[in-house]
Amino acid sequence: MLPGYRKWSIIFLLPSGLFLIFAYVYPMVYSFIMSFFSYSMLIPGAKPVFTGINNYLSIFNNLAFLNSLRITFIFSIVAIFFQFIIGLFLALVMSANLRITGVFRVFMFIPLMIAPVVVGILWRNLYHASYGVINFFISFLGIPPQIWLGSAKQALPAVIVVEIWQQLPVFAFILAAGIASIPTELNKAALVDGCGRMRIFWHITLPLLKPAIIVAFLLRIIDTLRMFDIVYTMTQGGPGTATKFLSLQIYEKGLRFFDIGNAAAQSWFFLIIVLLIEIYFIRLILRRGTAR
Amino acid sequence: MFGLTKSTVEKVLLYIICTIVIIVVIFPLYWLIITSLKYDIDSYVYPPQFFPVNITFKNYIDILFLAQEGNLVKYFLNSLIITISTIFLSLLFGSMAAYSLSKHYLSIMFRRMMLALVLVIRIFPPITTAIPYYIILSKFRLVDTHIGLIISYVSFSLPFTIWLMIGFFQSLPAEIEKAATIDGCNFWQRFIKIVIPLSLPGLAVTAIFGFLYSWNEFMLASILTSENAKTLPVVIAGFISDKYLFWGKMTALGVLMTIPVIIFSSFAQRNIVKGLTFGAVKE
Repeated sequence: MLPGYRKWSIIFLLPSGLFLIFAYVYPMVYSFIMSFFSYSMLIPGAKPVFTGINNYLSIFNNLAFLNSLRITFIFSIVAIFFQFIIGLFLALVMSANLRITGVFRVFMFIPLMIAPVVVGILWRNLYHASYGVINFFISFLGIPPQIWLGSAKQALPAVIVVEIWQQLPVFAFILAAGIASIPTELNKAALVDGCGRMRIFWHITLPLLKPAIIVAFLLRIIDTLRMFDIVYTMTQGGPGTATKFLSLQIYEKGLRFFDIGNAAAQSWFFLIIVLLIEIYFIRLILRRGTAR
Repeated sequence: MFGLTKSTVEKVLLYIICTIVIIVVIFPLYWLIITSLKYDIDSYVYPPQFFPVNITFKNYIDILFLAQEGNLVKYFLNSLIITISTIFLSLLFGSMAAYSLSKHYLSIMFRRMMLALVLVIRIFPPITTAIPYYIILSKFRLVDTHIGLIISYVSFSLPFTIWLMIGFFQSLPAEIEKAATIDGCNFWQRFIKIVIPLSLPGLAVTAIFGFLYSWNEFMLASILTSENAKTLPVVIAGFISDKYLFWGKMTALGVLMTIPVIIFSSFAQRNIVKGLTFGAVKE
């Protein structure tokens, strides 16, 4: 090794390191400390008071928080389930290599490019109870107009549909890339051996697709759990608390009520749950050696 | 499964499926565009007008030149400045870090630890850092400044950039760098003159994701800015009021926001999958 290379390597890491320390490490340390204090910034001149693990204990009695936790997980699980099924189907369609699949690929990307705040506004219009296009369409199926975003029962499914619509390309394209990497000889050999297409799908395509599926799940879990922008413009958490996702709940705690201590404890609780889930998936990936 | 031999019936079915999906995917975008070309009165009618009867550019003129909400051009520039700075800084610093981590000059333990740390940061739900970050920014008097938002966007983009660029750097042939070293290039020169020009495709992909992220990001922007550094997503969300929904204005701004993204990303469609997967799925 040439002299000075170690020094250069460290220098190259410094700018990124400083950014991450200022924007992540420092805030998270601050928030970890504050999570043991009772501190409301609304009261002028109030000083933080040490309360031990009270903030954490109160999470388990906080019905609003637990409700948000429940909604967020239902949202994440249901949305990812449907994205996986539909995305897998579309990935198989894309692998057909017809003329239309090229066009299809181009159009599939479009939902991803529209800002989530815009998506929220747009679907708010489409879902509108009195003049929305969706009620117009379902009237042909003989279904009477629904309230959608105004209904405590229908609001969450309505948001899930929007999430599926916008993020479907992620699953579809990751799985399509996975399918494209399966050697065609394998499929051909199986055909010669008299395997039906369903058997090829179950015994060749799906098992070989597993690494891509795990990566897609990992990324989708990260993104669905942090859901914020779409609901902010679409429902603002309502009606009532029907779509008050965790991010929205913590946002209000911290920035509308300035209850910094509780918001910090809730943030750390949320973060630890997310980390545990993700570590499970990352270990799956590392075991398979698909990641670097 | 559909990649194998196909009968005619099957081809027809696939065409039908593709057409239906394309319509479902495109219709909301179509609706966004035509709503922006309607008078608000026409947005409140039932049954909805699928083809606007009275086409107007009033909404565009309103938001661009007559907006009561303030000067839209200023917010457009804010978005542009913040997005471009974010892309530039995260590409420069991210690829520097990636280069350092892709070489073996530092111990493997240390490099692995750094990579794990970077991955963990990618996983953080943004709201968990947003509130303490806001408090810290206010101590430094950086709330509602471009710098405050840029720092947080760059930090968000760094993990992504680092992971993606390591993959590109590792795929470069080592001989080129050896030759450069023999010719007397130092570490920095080797990086900026040899490695970066060879990694342009990789940088393009990361740039597109940086663009998508910082152009469209709303939550941090709404927390960290109020007027001076306000970006377009915050402006759009501000149109929502309890009394009245300005469909025309909101959708017109939505269209204006979406056009640059579609233009920018059409340059590198093919490489986007690599970016989507954080570099973990090889095509």
